[in-house]
Amino acid sequence: MAASFFAMASPCEVLLETRDLGLARAAGRAAADEAWRIEAKFSRYRRDSVVTAINGSGGTPVAVDAETGALLDFAKHCYQLSDGRFDVTSGVLRRCWRFDGSDRLPTATAIAAVMPFIGFDKITWNPPFVTVPTGMELDFGGIGKEYAVDRVLAAVTATSGGAVLVNFGGDLAANRPPADGPWRVGIERPGTDREAVLLLELERGALATSGDTHRFLLRDGVRYGHIMDVRTGWPVVDAPRSVTVAAGTCIEAGMLATFAMLNGAGAESFLDQQGTRYWCLRA
Amino acid sequence: MQLKKKSPTPLRLGLMAASCALLGSPGAEAQSVPDGEQPLLIDTGLLYYKEDQGRVQTIEPVVRLKKDYGDEHVLGVTLTYDSLTGGSPNGAIPAKKVQTFATPSGTSLKPVSGVPQTYTTPSGQVVAALAKITLYSIQPGQLPLDPNFHDRRIAADVSWAQPIATNTNASIAGHLSNELDFDSAAVNGALSHDFNGKNTTVSAGLNAELDAVKPIGGAPVGGTDYTQLLKGGNKSKDVLGGLLGVTQVMSRHWVAQLNYSYDKSNGYLTDPYKIVSVVDGTGAETGYRFENRPGNRTRQSAYFGNKVYIAGNVLDVSYRRSKDDWGIQSNTIDGRLHIDLGNDIYLEPHARWYHQGAADFYHLYLNQADPLPTYLSADPRLADFKATTFGVKFGVGFSGNTELSLRVEQYQQKPTDTSSALAGLQGLDLNPGLKTIIVQLGWRYDY
Repeated sequence: MAASFFAMASPCEVLLETRDLGLARAAGRAAADEAWRIEAKFSRYRRDSVVTAINGSGGTPVAVDAETGALLDFAKHCYQLSDGRFDVTSGVLRRCWRFDGSDRLPTATAIAAVMPFIGFDKITWNPPFVTVPTGMELDFGGIGKEYAVDRVLAAVTATSGGAVLVNFGGDLAANRPPADGPWRVGIERPGTDREAVLLLELERGALATSGDTHRFLLRDGVRYGHIMDVRTGWPVVDAPRSVTVAAGTCIEAGMLATFAMLNGAGAESFLDQQGTRYWCLRA
Repeated sequence: MQLKKKSPTPLRLGLMAASCALLGSPGAEAQSVPDGEQPLLIDTGLLYYKEDQGRVQTIEPVVRLKKDYGDEHVLGVTLTYDSLTGGSPNGAIPAKKVQTFATPSGTSLKPVSGVPQTYTTPSGQVVAALAKITLYSIQPGQLPLDPNFHDRRIAADVSWAQPIATNTNASIAGHLSNELDFDSAAVNGALSHDFNGKNTTVSAGLNAELDAVKPIGGAPVGGTDYTQLLKGGNKSKDVLGGLLGVTQVMSRHWVAQLNYSYDKSNGYLTDPYKIVSVVDGTGAETGYRFENRPGNRTRQSAYFGNKVYIAGNVLDVSYRRSKDDWGIQSNTIDGRLHIDLGNDIYLEPHARWYHQGAADFYHLYLNQADPLPTYLSADPRLADFKATTFGVKFGVGFSGNTELSLRVEQYQQKPTDTSSALAGLQGLDLNPGLKTIIVQLGWRYDY
């Protein structure tokens, strides 16, 4: 059975191996509840979210709950593991970069003006207190959906007990295969047309996709995708159009895909080193 | 595809550890709009219709051809195509907790035989399906809309009119339409006779319609528990009706028309996709019932229309009253003023006011403590409501035989009964009504 709902700007689905309508309803409800909870708590578009409270704190310490703390820990580890290339404070680059398909590149001055407001190392994280300097912003947008997929899988597994597949707009995770064979999934690959759906079989674990979809600038024949190199304030050069990675959890798959994109021309060799299954698409 | 077995890199190990730490940490506990004699007239329109809050929207191209073979022998052909998408209210009321429903395709709780089959989701993803049932969940306080609603309609109308005797005209028309879940065929014939120096016309018509209702997932057994998904096969209905009318030229500047119509529908008149919420004494939802309507409906209506010529402009004002044996009574006042601005340009403001009373078997929701009624529906279209339409049409003529027009209208439906005194339902807007925008582009060419 399938239960569907909409969260985090994505169509979300939960597939369950069960014949019990009551169980499916309960599972679908548990899934939607958990996804909506995470969205409400961590969206920077929600006025009442934890992230909005932190970003609006004016440089004063904010006490955060255990879950927010765990996400901050995770963001810090990813910042360190990527040598500073993955940074949850990079969202402020949106102030000068607008990936609307046009050729309007920001000026060097505009970029230089926001660079002082980027850098996870400028954040003070003394659990349970986080201090974000005025002008800087936390944005869990690069982590949130994958995190929600893993959380929802856990929530539904606890409710239903059967084989479960959770799919949030192509980021997905499964607990185990159904009795009659592996899950068969199709992943739309950003930057391509519908026909280029990647068809995969998945027993358990997760898949996540990072790509520049329709978000890019085109100037003098050079395509600037939306994956940013926070060290320069410019988009990563020669990144693939899309990367799909398989890993044990969706959050891990998602980070591997993002790290690969951050490696630009080196995306494939980076993923080869990690020893994971991946599917890279270049224009 | 790459598949290599080797020891994880420090980065991979670090990421695995960080992911485990993160995931190991505790989380906190989705109505239509109605409305020419030349040798050949081509009238094309493109109608855009959009309901608020992500509900139904449609783009409808219409092509109308009218060929005059002389001596008042006129052939008319109309082709219409509709594509509807968006959320359609399923009849259940909003609740203070999440509600989950099955889309109409839910027919069976048995898995699809064999290995998991795939199906394509609305977003274009191919995913495994274990059984033919799809659920959707609705957030607290939100009107339950089925987000998976879509339909498309193709309709063709052909008519022929000609004189059959001095001052007597006859017409005959046929209609065929096809939707994903509905086929309709209709014929009608009419006679009209002019007398009193063509100042008076009397007319009479008969129509017959036969419909096949083929609900997606089957027609539910009316009144049964929604979770049982008791569904049968296809259904049918028929409509027989008649019309009597008189048109009188009252003065050089005033033409009046009086019509009376009667029609009787028989068969499956229930909406197969609508349900009714059942609540307990506190207002908490305890389940849902499929709606169930009587197997026949008799409707009568009277119409009084006037066209009045005032200082170069034409005022069209009408009143309609109708009632049926389901208990629905309605009154409509409609006015439009055709203002000629000169140079083949006109402006036509339009206002319409409508009020209807609820059907006898309309219930916003059912109370579990009460006996289950034989007939029940929570369809907002059967509720007591007022509706207003305000709009304007702007037209420009070119070279005497081409006209371009743009019509923009807003329709608003305000239900009377929208709340409940039950504790569990207080503060909820149980029937939020409807606002729609209608934009119509027209192009008309007379050869």
